[in-house]
Order: sequence, then structure tokens, then C-alpha cells
Amino acid sequence: MIKYIIKRLLLMIPTLFGVAVIIFFLMRIVPGDIVELRFAGESAYAQKENLDKERVRLGLDKPIWQQFLTWIGGLLRLDFGTSMWTGAPITEEIRLRFALSLQLAIMATIVAILLAIPLGVIAALRQDTWIDYTVRIMSIAGLATPSFWLGIVFILGLLIVFKWLPPMVYTPFWVNPVQNLAQLIWPALAVGYRYSAVATRMTRSAMLEVLREDYIRTARAKGLWEKLILSRHALKNAMLPVLTVIALEFAFLIGGLVVTEQVFNLNGLGMLFVEAVGHRDYTLTQALVMLVAFVFIFVNFLVDLAYAWLDPRIRFR
Amino acid sequence: MTDVRRRDAPGVPRHLFVLAAVSIVMLLAGRGADAQERPRYGGELVYVVPTEPASYDGHREGTFALVHPLAPVYSTLLRFDPTDRTGTKVVGDLAESWTVAKDGRTYTFKIRRGVRFHDGSDLTSKDVKASYDKIVNPPADVISFRKGQYTAIEAIEAPDPTTVIFRLKWPAASLITALASPFNWIYKADILAKDMHWYETHVMGSGAFVFVEHVKGAYWAGKKNPSYWDKGKPYLDGYRALVVKDGNAQVAAVRAERAHVQFRGFTPAERDSIVQALGPKVTVQESPWDCVLLVGMNHEKKPWDDKRARRALTLALDRYQGSQALSKIAIVKSVGGVQVPGTPFATPPAELEKLAGYSHDTAKSRAEARRLLKEAGVPEGFAFSLKNRNVPMPYEPVAIWLVDQWRRVGLQARHDFIESTKWEADLREGNYEVAVDTQCSYAVDPDLDLYKFQSMGISGNNYGRYVDQTLDDLYQKQSRALDAEERKKWVRDFERRLLDEETHYAYTLQWHRIIPHSAKLRGWTITPSHFVNNQLDGVWLSE
Repeated sequence: MIKYIIKRLLLMIPTLFGVAVIIFFLMRIVPGDIVELRFAGESAYAQKENLDKERVRLGLDKPIWQQFLTWIGGLLRLDFGTSMWTGAPITEEIRLRFALSLQLAIMATIVAILLAIPLGVIAALRQDTWIDYTVRIMSIAGLATPSFWLGIVFILGLLIVFKWLPPMVYTPFWVNPVQNLAQLIWPALAVGYRYSAVATRMTRSAMLEVLREDYIRTARAKGLWEKLILSRHALKNAMLPVLTVIALEFAFLIGGLVVTEQVFNLNGLGMLFVEAVGHRDYTLTQALVMLVAFVFIFVNFLVDLAYAWLDPRIRFR
Repeated sequence: MTDVRRRDAPGVPRHLFVLAAVSIVMLLAGRGADAQERPRYGGELVYVVPTEPASYDGHREGTFALVHPLAPVYSTLLRFDPTDRTGTKVVGDLAESWTVAKDGRTYTFKIRRGVRFHDGSDLTSKDVKASYDKIVNPPADVISFRKGQYTAIEAIEAPDPTTVIFRLKWPAASLITALASPFNWIYKADILAKDMHWYETHVMGSGAFVFVEHVKGAYWAGKKNPSYWDKGKPYLDGYRALVVKDGNAQVAAVRAERAHVQFRGFTPAERDSIVQALGPKVTVQESPWDCVLLVGMNHEKKPWDDKRARRALTLALDRYQGSQALSKIAIVKSVGGVQVPGTPFATPPAELEKLAGYSHDTAKSRAEARRLLKEAGVPEGFAFSLKNRNVPMPYEPVAIWLVDQWRRVGLQARHDFIESTKWEADLREGNYEVAVDTQCSYAVDPDLDLYKFQSMGISGNNYGRYVDQTLDDLYQKQSRALDAEERKKWVRDFERRLLDEETHYAYTLQWHRIIPHSAKLRGWTITPSHFVNNQLDGVWLSE
């Protein structure tokens, strides 16, 4: 097992290096550059002198290969550098937003799990009954409803009916839990509902498959208590694909909630990402892509470890 | 010149007009009340800022996103009169008074005594000189965004703690306006002497409010400066500028009374939504905006190298009908020339009508356009690309209007709605035929508003890619004419050459600034510029 873990950890290195190469060169071929964006804005007296000074300051006058080596060198030392737009350390820019994004991802995941697993299991157990149909309609509606749209509905509903809007500034949970939840519960519900739709369908189909397995029939033939069969034998095995869906969705939520963050005015990583790309802030965009790539790879790694724990066949192989 | 009236438009629900009427009455009542009411002390003004600046240094940046949250913290040498709706009248801020020598080349400013920085130190002429030296003659590694506006300045002197002298190489009609720039914050000389970049990451001024904090992506906060030089001010205990980037969220913030105002501007639909929700609790202020969308024609591409073809494009436009239709859905309204209508150097409507494309006889103009196109060898149904940036308001509706107008003279424009950065790069590199271009200034002033249109090589923003020595000479003449009437004449000549004789560019419609704000907000007056009038020292909350 330890050998397997080491092998998987080492495999992360070439994957992250590949991501680094792709994002570095991809950013350079996108039209427009940060310097023009900064100094050709409103009320501008665009001066070539200023553009040249800024290019030198940001190191954009150097050959591409030199810029790449400098950046990779920094990454190896875990130094992400500074944002080209604000000049602030990238770790500080990310730190400011990470807590909110992480909390929202966790809350949405909890909402999704609380909805998906019971509903998926019940739908599978009551296959082709009205319960099953209701759950299926709910999950299809969830898949068809973008979370930002649901967010807009929440906002308008709160605004029109209650003449109330969630707080517009993030307050950490440990500072004021009520204020914190009043702000984040709505996006968590909006995102969690769509997220749960995928997981519900996966739980239902996985449960249906497992319930038809020989070992479930054997367990029933042995006269085992039905609840025990479901929890110990069926659910545990059905959770393998569900876990993958939940984990990948969680990784996506860390940096992918761009529009939802906009709708709820959340100062998260998604908005930071969009701004960084919009500003052609190469260093910040690259750092964010590396962060999201790392989260995806790491979550995948944890899922694989969980697989081994959940399914002895994988462990023994 | 500020428009606070609302007109009935077909297809708009009646209740909106009732509410609008209520808001206007409130506004008028509020204006009267402002004059009579005693300002109330206390409270925190909460406003929305739609974006964030790259650094904290006003000398280095060019965005309103810096001025809105930080102008209250700083003082400037001069400022625009916060009660002047044209946003052109300059008054002293740190300068108590000033004199101009007869030859117009020496300006002497007396600096107020008793002004203190927020660290407790005295502000003197030394600080004003150091700040302006940084703006006018920055060291090699320092960027001064508007350095080009101060080329007339030869030397800045501070002979004693309360006197600053600006000596000029030539007379400059716009110097006083340029010295009132809302970006030209006065920094502490001792700090600049140690580190010219300090203000890029730190905030320390002498304004009515003391900087408290900026949480990136979230908010800015300031608190009352008890040692402010203008005794009795400010009225507010503090302010909080919320960073809200999404347009709908900004509207929601004002609708839900989470914010009193957003100082940049809303669309007509957003205004109506706020008025409908808040009724008498909202006041609407409107004004022509010192921003305009232009039709840029690439003089290096056929047939736009021919002034007859360019003239046809402006003749095809019915600006008056366009104003009526577009002002209901977009942030454009007034028909204007190179200066904001109603401001000192603006061309009066009767004279404006003499320019190509400004006549009320549209049929005649379009017939002329067709004739010119034929003469220039442009065939019926000639197709070309209109490059536009993918910013919906007001770029999209204005471009759609343009496409329709040109269709009426037999031209087929293809609307290429492209990403902003690509659009900017294409315009700069001349990679376009016809494009929607833009001009926006921090103050209504001929030097600022006309700079862009000088020849390529002089102006870095001339995307028409033309060289016109006559136009450059006219710019210089208006820029150095100290007599207002003489300057007006040169501005008119410039306008005629730019928009009529050569038709290097075509103006569409003046942007229209719409600020629906909480009726509790008092002492704030809209101007044509969203960069000025943000020091908040005279603003108060009625409850």
C-alpha cells in the first residue's frame, strides 16, 4: 500500500509539470497584454514610455524561455511570485479568497450529500414507484437548472418577498457564525441542489446494480436483517462511483463557481480567476491553474485511497 | 444642464412614471431642502464600487475604481466645485487662492495653513511640490499616468511653506483644470523622498476621512478625520465602499438599501427597477456624461481613406431619432459635438446642426451620403466589418443602431462583437475597417477631450491612423488661448475639421449618467464626470 501511495504521489509531478507548460504558453498566445490593459483604460493619455517601463518592470521584455524558467524556478521553491496586476504576493491574493471558496465548497457538498444519498437509495429501493419518479424528476430538474440561475431566483425572491438581501461582505464563521451562514447558505443551497442531482442519479443507479448482485441475494438467503444488508453490503459498495462524482465536483467547486460568486457577490477564487484572465495577469492565472490542478489531482488521489478502503478487492490487487 | 425630468415613453408601465414623478418631486424637494437644511452629523455612507484598481497610487492609475474609494482620504491642490453640475468650475482645495501672471506663464498658489496629514505632520508647499514633481517629472522607474498633460510645466518651486509656483514653457489654457485632477493627490514629501513607490501599496493623506482598511475584493473603509482643515466637516462618521462587480448585484444592493448609492451610473432599466422598488425613498440625478462612443474609420483601409466615404457614414446617422430610441434602453442620450452639451466650450445646437450628420433633415443627409458613396466608387450593398468590444452597455445597442442606420444608405456592416482586450489590440494595431471607439475624460475640458484626435504619432490613442497637421495646429491654438472666447473659436474649428471637413471620426451620442440613490444621501451633486466629486466632505445622511 505504501509503495502504491508513493507511486501515485510521484506521478503527480509530471502531471503538474504538464499543466504548468500548457498554461504558461496558452496565456502567452491569448491576444492582448496586461500592460496595454492597465494603461489604455479610462481617462488615458496612453504613453509609450509608460508601457515600456511597465513591460520592463514585469519582466515581459525578456525572452519567453527565460520568463518560463524564472517562473518554474519559483514554483520549485513554492514561490508563486507576485500578481502582475496588483503587485501583491500571490499567496496573499489566494489566501484572502480561499477560506470563502473552501467553506462554500464544503457547505455545498454537505447539502448535496444530505440530499443525494437518502434520495438515491430510496429511489432505488422503491424503483418505478411514485417516490422513484419524484426523485428522478427532482434530479433531472437539478441537472437542467444552472446554479447561478437558481441563485438569481433566490436573490430576487428574498428581495421582492422579504425585501432582504444576504450580507454583501464575507464574515468568517469563527467571527460571526450567523452573519456567515446568512451569506453562504443561499449559494450553498443553489450549488448543492445541482450538485446533488448528479450524485442522486449516480447513487440510484449504483444501488440498483448492487442490489442485483449475487452477494446481496446470498445475504438475504442467509436471513440477514435487511437494514444490515443495505448499510453494510449494498450502500458501501454502491458508494464507489458516488464518491468519485462527489470528490470531482468538490474539486471543481474550489475554483469553478464564477457566475454563482458574481450573483451573490462572493469574494471567492472563481471571481479572482476570471479577473486574472481578464487582466491578462499571467502570474496569478498560472498560480490559480496550478492550484486547481493540484486540488483535482490530490482529491483524485484521496478517492483512489478511499476506493482501496471501501473495496477489499482493490486493496488486495 | 442636469436632467432630472422623465418623459413618458410608449410601452413603459404607467406606475413607473408615477414613481419617477415622485422621485423627481423628491429630488426637487431634496435640492431645496439641501439648500435650507442644516447638514446632519453622523452615520456611515455605504456605496458600491464596481471594480478595483491595481495599486493605491493616484498618480499611477487611471480608473475611477481608485478615485471612488480613496478620494475622501486625500486632498488635491485644486478641485472641481462639488456644487457645480457642469463639473468645470475649479475651486481651491489645499490652495487658498492663486494668481496668474499677465503672460499666463506663472501661477502662484497660496497653500492653506493648518492642514495636517493623517499622521499628524503639517502639510506645506514642500509636499505639493514633491507630489507634482512626481507627476510631471517622475524618476525613471516611476510611472506617471497623466504626465503628458503637464508638458507645459517648466519648473515647480516652493519658496516658502505656503507658496507654490508653477512656471510654464508656454501659456496653457487647461492648466487650472489639470491641477484639479481628482488623481493628483498630495503626498508627503518625506515619504516620497525615502520611497517613490510607497503610495502604491499604502494610503496616507490629508483629506476629510482617514483610511481604515481595504479588504481586496470586499470593501474599503474610512472614518472621519477630526483634524480636517475645513472646520465642521466632514458630516459623516465614515464611509464604506463595497466592491460589487456584478451589475445585477449592484442594483440589488441599492434596491435592498444595503448601499446608498453607486457613483458611476446605472442603465435606464436599472434606474426604473430601483425607482419601482423604493418609490419615494429614492432620488434620481441624471446628467450628460463626459464619455462618448465614436465611429473610428481606418484611414489606411479602402474606402475609408477617402473622406467622401467617411462623410457618408456620419451623414447616414439620424442622431435625434437615435437619441429618442436609444435613451430608453441604453446609457446614451444627448446629441453633442466634441464637448459635453451645456458645458462652457460646447457648440450650441443651432450651430451643431451645420455639421455633417447633425441636420434634422435626415432624408437630405442620406441622399447626400448615397451620392458621396457613389462618387467615391463604393457600390450599393458594400459590406464591411464594424468591430466592437463585447461590453453590452452601451456598446451593443449603439452598434446595432449604427448597422441599421448605414443599411439605409446601402451599406452592409457586419457587427463583430469581440472580446475587449482583442478589440483594444486590433484598434491599436490598425487591424480593423470600421470600429466602435471611445473617448472618456476625468473632466470636461478641450485639452483632455480633444487630445486623442491629434495625428498618429502625437496621440497614442488615435486609432483612425491619420496625420492631419491642420488639426494638430488647431489643438495647439486652443490649448494656448487664454481668452475663453478665442479658445471657443479654435475648439469649433477643431470640431468642424474633425467631424465635418475631414470626418476623421464620427461621434454617436453622448453617454448619459444616471444615479438613483437613497433619498437619505444629501449634499452630493451629479456632474458629467464620474471621476470627480467623490471627496465626500460635504455629503451627509438625512437620517
